Amino acid sequence: MDTQWPRWEVFKQDTPAKPHQAVGSVHAADPFHALLTARNVFARRPQAVSMWVAPASAIFSVTQEELAEGQEPKPPAPDPRPSTFYVFRKTSHKRSMTFVDYVGELEAASPQQALELARQRFTDAEALAWWVVPASSVTKSENSPETVESWFAPAKDKTYKQQSYYGVVGSHVSKFKRPRGEDDE
Amino acid sequence: MNEQVKQALIAKLTALADDELILAHRDSEWTGHGPILEEDIALANIAQDELGHATVWYGLRSALDGSDPDRLAFFRDAGEFRNCEFVELPRGDWAFTMLRQYLFDVYEALWLSAAARSTYSPLAEAAAKVVREERFHLQHTQAWVERLGLGTEESRRRIQAALDEQWGYAQQLFVPLPDEALLVAEGIVPDLAEVKEAWLERTTEHLRKSGLELPLQPGYQPASRQMHTEHLWSLLAEMQSTARWDAEAKVW
Repeated sequence: MDTQWPRWEVFKQDTPAKPHQAVGSVHAADPFHALLTARNVFARRPQAVSMWVAPASAIFSVTQEELAEGQEPKPPAPDPRPSTFYVFRKTSHKRSMTFVDYVGELEAASPQQALELARQRFTDAEALAWWVVPASSVTKSENSPETVESWFAPAKDKTYKQQSYYGVVGSHVSKFKRPRGEDDE
Repeated sequence: MNEQVKQALIAKLTALADDELILAHRDSEWTGHGPILEEDIALANIAQDELGHATVWYGLRSALDGSDPDRLAFFRDAGEFRNCEFVELPRGDWAFTMLRQYLFDVYEALWLSAAARSTYSPLAEAAAKVVREERFHLQHTQAWVERLGLGTEESRRRIQAALDEQWGYAQQLFVPLPDEALLVAEGIVPDLAEVKEAWLERTTEHLRKSGLELPLQPGYQPASRQMHTEHLWSLLAEMQSTARWDAEAKVW
C-alpha cells in the first residue's frame, strides 16, 4: 500500500503586481493542509502575499518538445468536467527555480482545448512548458487582511544569518589540496 | 511604576518567557523526527517563533532590571524556572505535541489580543506584534486536532489519551502569580479569569467538533510555578549543556 500523501504543486505570489509562480511541491492530506505546509516551506522568509495549491494529479503539463514532436501526454480526466482553466507558462531556464508563471484563465471544454486556446491567446513570449489546471482544483489562501497579515507579514521583519556567517572549526578544504602534478612520478 | 508593581511585572515576564522557552525546546525535539518533511519544517518554524516570543519577554524584563536573557535561559537551575508544568512534559507522540501546542496557541492568541491593550506600552506593542504569527500557528494546530480526532481509530485514541493527560495540566496557564492582581488592577496585563473563560469556550467547541470528549475529572492541576516535574531537570541538562560547557561558543 502506498502510504505517501498526495503531492501538491505550490504557487506563490510575491507582490500584488506579480503573477503566481510555481515554487515547488508539498505532500499533504487535503487542500487546506497543503496550504498550511506550503506556507511553512515556501513563505516563512521570502516575501509573499498569496498562495495557491493544486494536486499534482490534476495538472496537465506539456513541454515545447512534446508539442513539436506531436507527443502530447494524455491529460488527467477531471471529474466533474470543469469549464474554467488556469494557465501557467514557463518562459525561461535562467534561474534555479522553476518559474512556471500564471498567465490567465480561460473557458474550455477539456484540458486539451484549454491548451489550444492558451497557445493562441498567450503569445507574448515563447512557452517552454504549459501547465493547464482546472480552476476547481486550485485552493487559495484567504485574501482577508487578517490572514495576509498572519500568514505573510511576519516573514518580512524576520532577520536571519546566512550559513556563511558562522565560523567553522578547521580550515578550508583547499588548504589540504596538493598542487597539481605533485603526485605524478 | 512603584517598586512592588515593577517586581510583579518582572515575575510575570519571567513566567511568560519561561513558558515559551521550554515549549519551544520541547517542539524543537521533533526536528529531524517529524512524520513528514513538511511538518518537520512547520514545527521547527513554530519552535523558532515561540523562542522568538521568549526573547521578546526576556527583553522586556531586561529593560526593567538589566538581566541578561542568555544567563536566564542557560544558567538558571530547574528550581529557578517559572514555567508551568504543562510545557515541560515530554513531547510524547505527534498527537500529544499537536494537542499541547493547540491548547497553548489558543491561550496565547487570546492573552496577546487582550495584552495588546495593556497600559504598559512596551508590552502592548510587543503583544500586538507577536499575536500576528500566533494566529497562523493556531490555524495549523487546530487543523491537526480536527484531523487526528476525526481520522482513524488509532489517531482518535491517541489524541483522546493526550487530552485526558493534558487537560488538568493546561489549567495551570490560568493560575495567576502571587502578585499578578496588582498588574491586573493597573491594566498592565489581562485578567486570566477572563482569558480562561474565552479559552474554555473556544477549546471545548473545537475539541467536541473534532469528536473528542473532555475528561470528566480534570486530573492533577499544578498550582505553583515554583514546582516542577522531574522532566524539567533532564530537559535543562540537554538545553543548557553547550552554554555551560562553553559560554562563548562562538566557533563550532
